[in-house]
Amino acid sequence: MSWPRIVCPPNRSLLRSFTERTVAVRVAHPHQAAQAAARVWESGNHLFCVIIDSSFSLDKIELGEDLKHVPLAVMAPSWGKFRHLARRLERLRDFNLRIYLPGDVLENLAGLRILSSLGIHTCAVLGNGRMDWDALTDLMTYAVLELAPHASMEPFSFIASRHDPFSYLEWGALYFDDPKSFLHLDAKGRVALSAAELRNKQFIASSLKEIGEPAEFPAIRDRLQSWRQFFVDNHPCASCGGWKICLGRFAVALPENQGCAGFFLELMDVARQYQARKVQAEELRIWQP
Amino acid sequence: MANILLTTQCNRSCPYCFAQREMSGSPRDNLLSWENLIYIADFLKASGERQVSLLGGEPTLHPECVDIILYLLERGFDVTVFTNGILSAARLEEFRRHLTDIPIERLTFTCNLNDPVQTPASHQEARKIQRFLFVMGPWTMPGFNIYRLDFTLDFLFDLINRFGMKRHLRLGVCHPVLGQRSGFIGPRDMGQVVERLYSYRRQFDALRVKPGLDCGFPLCQMPDEVLGWLHRFPGPVQFGCGPAVDISPDMSVYYCFPLARYKRKSLFEFDSLGQLEDHFQLLRHEIKAELPGIYDECDGCPHLENRVCEGGGLCHVLNRFMDEAPIRIPEIENELAQNRLSS
Repeated sequence: MSWPRIVCPPNRSLLRSFTERTVAVRVAHPHQAAQAAARVWESGNHLFCVIIDSSFSLDKIELGEDLKHVPLAVMAPSWGKFRHLARRLERLRDFNLRIYLPGDVLENLAGLRILSSLGIHTCAVLGNGRMDWDALTDLMTYAVLELAPHASMEPFSFIASRHDPFSYLEWGALYFDDPKSFLHLDAKGRVALSAAELRNKQFIASSLKEIGEPAEFPAIRDRLQSWRQFFVDNHPCASCGGWKICLGRFAVALPENQGCAGFFLELMDVARQYQARKVQAEELRIWQP
Repeated sequence: MANILLTTQCNRSCPYCFAQREMSGSPRDNLLSWENLIYIADFLKASGERQVSLLGGEPTLHPECVDIILYLLERGFDVTVFTNGILSAARLEEFRRHLTDIPIERLTFTCNLNDPVQTPASHQEARKIQRFLFVMGPWTMPGFNIYRLDFTLDFLFDLINRFGMKRHLRLGVCHPVLGQRSGFIGPRDMGQVVERLYSYRRQFDALRVKPGLDCGFPLCQMPDEVLGWLHRFPGPVQFGCGPAVDISPDMSVYYCFPLARYKRKSLFEFDSLGQLEDHFQLLRHEIKAELPGIYDECDGCPHLENRVCEGGGLCHVLNRFMDEAPIRIPEIENELAQNRLSS
């Protein structure tokens, strides 16, 4: 296992406490983003992206021209109104960014579809909230199978292109929440396994140095194998048809999330159709010199 | 060009309305969803369309009308909005804030205006229309529906001048609605309509307003003098009845409002606008094989054969079936029976 990327605040001394790491810095306001990116570069680390974790709706987030070449993950709680966003679409399309919106708000699902249809890359955050699984299925089908040109929409595009019926698929990294890919640091350098655990101050180590070899570190190893517990407990998720993609992600919210099984089964089917379509397109191509 | 219906609600009740039956048969809260709008936009884009029209009911009643217009412009479509101009102050302010910097070549409002004497509006409605024209005048093209033979156009020239509107007057004649005994301009009255229209030639010429004839005008009712006059304006003069292709909020599609109940389909049954138009052309041929046009003289008319004229509106042609017995194509008879038109 290679070293996970680091997600941390753009604290100068913290960034200088390690080098040659790939780092995603988290800021609350877009005007802090350019400076945050500069600090990562100054510290001798590699910038993965700047996460703008805003409490404002998307239509109120202004991105300056200085962010044009900075990879951005823009997270907003809601979509807002298209009329306010309309003038900024050119910029959103030109920038190297992905927009994250919570998938448990119906208006956001429309927003994700609108943005994707306009060539802006997006990601639906499938949290533990009460999802409208039917609406989400509709959106997922659009994201994966729609032939009209549109930008990628995660996690659907990722899952559809990587789904293998014979193995499990972990896609938490899309939300920076997979310890195999990301570790989260607070301003003091303490390490957590996810953004939520960082917020709840559930740390696994007081610094990165404590971790040593990540694959061997007990907390990380346990988390990566935590799915096994579903089988030990004989949890209903373990026998669900959608398990290989879901991996019990919505177990906490059961039974409210009853629709999740249907959604993930449909997603598997759509993924199969997507992959079959790709193979067919390759077969139809004539030989190349 | 396709017409997208944003809502089936309307805030006006015109005596000649040929959409009334279709609108009243739809749920009150029937609004086009974003999901359906994006599907339609993708569908039209894939079909090579670059223009869309937004209709209703009254399309500006859709709570996200401004957002929808901006979205379609962003998708590369030129947008025409058919409105009656009766907007709330809040909605008009939205228009002023978000639409008044759109180039007038890309956005047009076709404002359907009624004669203040013959079809009087309430004082409040009239004030709202004036406020709309005051704000959106340069983006607005006047529209007028002819439903009586003593129509007047003077008030329109006055409005065009006062509010700096686009110099193009869309003129439509009221058509019969299948299944509804509504008032309309009959085939025998077309000549009189043309004559009255031509009597306004001086105003049209002086103000450089182009008369834009909507569907259903038959070529044979145009004296050469009128034809010569019409051809002096830029752009083609057409005597057609092409499918309008109306797409309703529930994604059903039909030929045009008067034929809304006649062989409607779902948009999801088609892969492109071309395919959809082919379907409607077939429907038209099927009817025209029985009755070529609205007049007996249409049978064997060289202009009809050359497709210079379509022989009047298809709704008029179907309306003629009402007086003809027995009806010859069982399929048409069945459809008409559903609309209680069969004898």
